[in-house]
Amino acid sequence: MKTLLIDLDKCVGCYACQVGCKDEHCEQSWMPYAEAQPETGQFWMRVDERERGKRPHVKVTYIPTPCQHCADAPCMKVAKDGAVYRREDGLVIIDPEKAKGQKAIKDACPYHAIYWNDVLNIPQKCTGCAHLIDEGDTITHPRCYDNCVHGAISWGEESALDLADAERLHPEFGTSPKIWYKGLPKRFIAGRVYDPEEKEVVEGAVVTASGGGGSFTTKTNWIGDFWLRGLPDGDWTVSIEGQGKKKVLEVSTKQEDVGLGDVPLN
Amino acid sequence: MGIKVDKRVIKPVACSSTGGDPVVVESSDGKIVRIRPCNWTESYTEEELKDTFWEIDARGKKLKCPRKAMPPYYALAYKKKTYSKDRVMYPLKRVDWEPGGDPDKVNAQNRGKSGYERISWDEAIDILESEIRRMYDTYGPYGILAIGYDGHKESKCVHYGSGCQMQVLRMIGGYIREVRTPDSVEGFYWGGKHVWGTGAWDGLGLPEEYYNTMKDVSEHTEFLVMQAGDLETTANYASQFQSCMMKYWLDLGIEMVAVDPFGTYTAMAHDEITWIPILPNTDAALDFALINVWIKEGLYDKEYVDTHTIHFDKMADYVMGKDDGIEKTPEWASKITGIPEWTIKALARKWGTSATTIAHFCGAHIRGPYSFEPGRTEYYKLAMQGIGKPGVQMIHLFSWNVAEQVVPSVGGMLSFMYMGHADMQDIPGPTSLPRTAVHHAIMDGKYEWYGSPSIIMAPPEDQFIKRTYPCEEANGTEFHMIWSEKASNQGSWNGGFYLQDAYRNPKIEFFVSNHQWMQQDTIFADLILPVTTCLEEVDSIGSSQGGSLCFYGVQERACDVVGESKSDYEIAAELAKRFGIYEEYTKGLSVDEEIAAAYEESFIKDFISFDELKKRQYFIPPVNPDWKDIPAGMREFYEDPESHPLHTPSGKIEFWSEALAEHFPDDKERTPMARWTIGGSKEDGFAHDESQWGEKAKTYPLLLNTSPGRWRIHVQNDDICWLREIQTCKIRGKDGYMYEPVWMCPELAAERGIQNGDIVKVFNGQGIVLGAARISERVLPNSIKMDKGAHPDPIAPHIDRGGCTNLISPPDPISKHCEGFVVTGYLVDVAKLEDAEMEQWKRDYPENFARTYDPASGSSRAGWIVKE
Repeated sequence: MKTLLIDLDKCVGCYACQVGCKDEHCEQSWMPYAEAQPETGQFWMRVDERERGKRPHVKVTYIPTPCQHCADAPCMKVAKDGAVYRREDGLVIIDPEKAKGQKAIKDACPYHAIYWNDVLNIPQKCTGCAHLIDEGDTITHPRCYDNCVHGAISWGEESALDLADAERLHPEFGTSPKIWYKGLPKRFIAGRVYDPEEKEVVEGAVVTASGGGGSFTTKTNWIGDFWLRGLPDGDWTVSIEGQGKKKVLEVSTKQEDVGLGDVPLN
Repeated sequence: MGIKVDKRVIKPVACSSTGGDPVVVESSDGKIVRIRPCNWTESYTEEELKDTFWEIDARGKKLKCPRKAMPPYYALAYKKKTYSKDRVMYPLKRVDWEPGGDPDKVNAQNRGKSGYERISWDEAIDILESEIRRMYDTYGPYGILAIGYDGHKESKCVHYGSGCQMQVLRMIGGYIREVRTPDSVEGFYWGGKHVWGTGAWDGLGLPEEYYNTMKDVSEHTEFLVMQAGDLETTANYASQFQSCMMKYWLDLGIEMVAVDPFGTYTAMAHDEITWIPILPNTDAALDFALINVWIKEGLYDKEYVDTHTIHFDKMADYVMGKDDGIEKTPEWASKITGIPEWTIKALARKWGTSATTIAHFCGAHIRGPYSFEPGRTEYYKLAMQGIGKPGVQMIHLFSWNVAEQVVPSVGGMLSFMYMGHADMQDIPGPTSLPRTAVHHAIMDGKYEWYGSPSIIMAPPEDQFIKRTYPCEEANGTEFHMIWSEKASNQGSWNGGFYLQDAYRNPKIEFFVSNHQWMQQDTIFADLILPVTTCLEEVDSIGSSQGGSLCFYGVQERACDVVGESKSDYEIAAELAKRFGIYEEYTKGLSVDEEIAAAYEESFIKDFISFDELKKRQYFIPPVNPDWKDIPAGMREFYEDPESHPLHTPSGKIEFWSEALAEHFPDDKERTPMARWTIGGSKEDGFAHDESQWGEKAKTYPLLLNTSPGRWRIHVQNDDICWLREIQTCKIRGKDGYMYEPVWMCPELAAERGIQNGDIVKVFNGQGIVLGAARISERVLPNSIKMDKGAHPDPIAPHIDRGGCTNLISPPDPISKHCEGFVVTGYLVDVAKLEDAEMEQWKRDYPENFARTYDPASGSSRAGWIVKE
C-alpha cells in the first residue's frame, strides 16, 4: 500500500502541506470521497507547531499531522452503517452521505484529525486525496506531498520508502497508525558553559545527563554550548566538567525541554 | 469525479519584478481549481533539459538542481488572494466626495472613514479625465503626484502597474514622480556605498560581483553568519530554493549562527544553527567589539587590509579608544547589545579563524535609525576577513542564482522581455519626490533632501546633491492630486499615521487609486479603479532571481477576469483615448502583438520558436557550459584589486570616506567613518532619539523589532485566509478579531500583567496600534517583535486595530542627509488594552466598529461599500 513518510528534519515550517490541502478541499467537493471543506477552521493536514527550550537555546518543531489512516481505526469502530470504510489501498474514508449526524466519528480520533462540519452535519477528514489517486490527470498523488518542495513529505509504496529509523506518531494510542515519521521530537537539555572569572566560554567541557532514562554525554562546542538531544522524559542529574571544575544540576524533562541559558562553571 | 480541469497555465506569482518560481494554475470553466508548484519537467522531458539542470559537487556531496520549482508560500495560496473578500469588483467613488475641488465637497477629513458607491467605468474615466484637465488648467504640469513602482507586488510585464499612469500623464502634460527609496538596503545604500562604492545594480551598495557565490560557499565556507534578517521571511519572496541551499550547506557541515533580535524562523527550524540574541539596532556595537578582538588577537587578514583598503588605521584607532577614550571591548558591547561578553569573544574567534561568509536578508538593523552605521560595519568586517577569498563572501538578494544561464540577463532581470507602458522610476528626474517624504511634502508644502533616492542607477556622488520640493520647474506650485498604482504607502514606509493625516489634508483635492483590493491607501482614495491580478491577464513573464533556475514565459489568462477589473495598462489606455493619444500610448499594438514583437527582439528566439514557446508556456535557457569557471563573487577583486577596482574614489575599500568629510563636514550623525551612534534630541540637531540611552526611552522604554511578516510579502497578502490561520500569522482576540501577534518574552509579559492572547496596545508619540500577545522565548527583554505589513484598520486618527506597525514608525528619514526610512529598531511601549478603553473607542468612533468585518480574511469590501 502507498503511504506518507514525513521527515521533520527536512521540514522548515512553511505550512505548504496545510495550505495545499486547503487549496484542494476547501469549498470544492470531491464526492464520493469528500464534501467541500469550509473556507477556514478545518485542518485535514494540520501542522502542529511547538516552541521548545529557553532563550537562547530555543527550537521550533513542526509536526504535519493528517489522518493516520490507522489499521485499527477508532473512527471505523464507532461508525454506524459502514460510514467509515477502508479502501483496498489502505485509505480510511468517511462516507459523507452515510456519516451524516455521526459526531461520534469525530470524537473517536485520538489524533484530533477529524473535524465537524456544522453546516453539512458531517465529520470530515483527510481522504489521502483519493480522488486524485483514482482520477487525477496532471497529478495523481496527495496535494500535501505535491506541495512539499523540501522533500520532507514522501509518498509511495511503503516498501519503496526509506524507513530506516522511521517511527509512528503516538504509537501509545494503540491504533496502528499507517503514516511514518522521522525526527519526531524528543527532549533536549541545552546550555552555554562559561568561566565567570575569565569571562570566556568553556569549550570541550564534558556534559553528562544521567537518570532513569539512561546516560547521555556530549561536549561543549566553540561557543560553550551543549545540546543533549534525543532524551526520554524524566528527571536528570546533569554534570558539567571542564578546566578542572565541576558543576552538578538537577533538571527534569518530564514537562518540557530544558534550556539552561548561560551556566557559570565555578 | 467532481470538477474537471480544462485549462492549465504556468506562470510565476511572486513579488514585483522578480517573477519568482512558477506555479501551475489549473482551472475549470474560468474558475481556479488549484495552484500547485510547477515541475520544471512539466512541458519538457528530462532529456530536453539535460543541459539546463546544474549540479554542485562540494566536499563529497552533490546538490542537484531541484526538478520542481519552489514557489513562495503565498503563491500556493493565491486562489484566495484572487477571490479575496476585499477584492474591488467595480469602480467605486467615495460617497462624500465630488469632483471640482470645492473643499466642502472634497471632505478630505473623511478619507479612511467614509464608504463608497458603485459607479460605471464610463463615469470613472469621466471623473479621471475632468479632474486631470482641471489640475493642468489650475496648477500646471506639476499638480499631480503619481505613485507607483511595485506593481501591486505582482509580477507582470505588459500590464506591469509600475507607472502606466506616469507614462500616459507624461504624454498628456506632466506629473511629479514619487520615487522608490532603497528600502531593501537602506544601511548599505547610505553607508556601505561610501565604504564599498556603487555596488550591484549601479547603486545598491551590495557587492557588485555575485555569480558563483553559492558554489564558493558550498566549497569553501566554514562559518556562515546570518546577521540582519531571516531567510525564511525575507529571502524567499520569489522562491523557497534558498531553504534547499541552506539544508545542503548544513549537510556539508558548515557551522551557522543567526545574530538577531528574534529567534528567526531559519534558526529555529534547524538544530544545527546557533541563535545569538541581540537587542534591536545595536549591531554596530557588536561589530566594533568583534573588530576589537580581531585587532588585539591578530585574527584578521593584515595583508589584505594593506593591499585592498585605505584608512584602516582611523577605524582601528576608534575601536581601540584612541580618538574618544572608549575602547570598544566585548565588555563595552555587552552592555549595549545584551550579548554576554564571553559569547562575543567566542563569536569573534570563530569568525576570525574560519572562512566566514555573511548571509544578508535585507532585514533588521539595515532598516533602523542610523542604519548607515551597521551597513558600514558589516563591510568593515568583510574587509578585515578578506572578502573575495575562497569561502569569504556576502550572500545577498541577487547572489542566490547558482549557475549562469546562456541567455544574457540584465542583472538578473530576465523576466522582462519587454516593458513599455510604464515610466520606470529607477532614475529619478528633477520633478521627483522620495516616497519617504510624501507626508512632509503635503503637510509642510515644501521639502528638502540630499541625494537621488533611487534604489538603483545611483552612484554615491548623487548623495551630495541637494534637491527641493516643489522643484524649480514647478515654480512653487504644490501637487493637489494623487494617482496611485501602489496603494501601500502607509504600511510600507515611514510615519504611516502622519501620511494618513496628509491624505486627509484638504490640499489634496482628488486621490485616485488603482488596486485589486480594498486595503491600505485604497480606503483613503476618492476614486477606486479595480485592477486585474496577474492570473487574469494575457502576459509574458518569467523569473529572474532567487530560484534554482531563471526562465521566460508566455501565458494565457489563468482564470476569468474578476468583476469589472482592468489592468493598469488598460486603465491608462482608456484615459489615453480621452486625450486622443491611444495609438501613441499603445503603439498601435494589441497585447498579443506586443508579446510577439517582444519575442522577436529577445535573445531566446534563437532557441525556441514562438509557437513552441506558447505551447510549452515557458523556456529555461541552458546553463553556460563554462559557468563553473566564472570567478566567484568578489574573487577578482581579492586576487587583483588594481585590475578590478571598486567604484570608490580610491578603487579600494574605504574605512573612512574623504568624500563624506568633504561634502558634509559638520554632519554629526553620519560622519566619514562608522561609529556607535545613538542620536539625541531634535534641539541638538539629531534626527532620532530611538535608543535605550536617550530621553525618549524614559517614556517609551521598549525597542520594537519589525520584520516583513513571514506570511506576507511586504504589505500584501494579509487577507489570505489560509495563511491567517497559521498561529504565527494572526491571533484571535477575545472579541473574535484576528490581531497581529505582538511577540514578547515571558519576563516582560509578567511585568506588564499580560497573558498569552491578550489584546495589547503598542504605542509611542505617533499613536497606537493594536495586537495580541504571543509570549515567547524567541524575543529579548527590553524589546518586542511585531511584523510589518498588517493591513491598517483605522479606529480613529492615530489609533489602528489592524496592527500596522509602520503607522507608528518615525516620520523622519534615517538622518538629516540620508533620505531613507526607519521602520524597525525604534521606541515604543506595550500595555494590555483594558476593556474600558476599547468600550470608550466604540462609543467615540461607532462607525469604524460598525463596519463589516470578516475574521477569515480581515478586511472586507462589504465593510466599505455603502451603495451597490
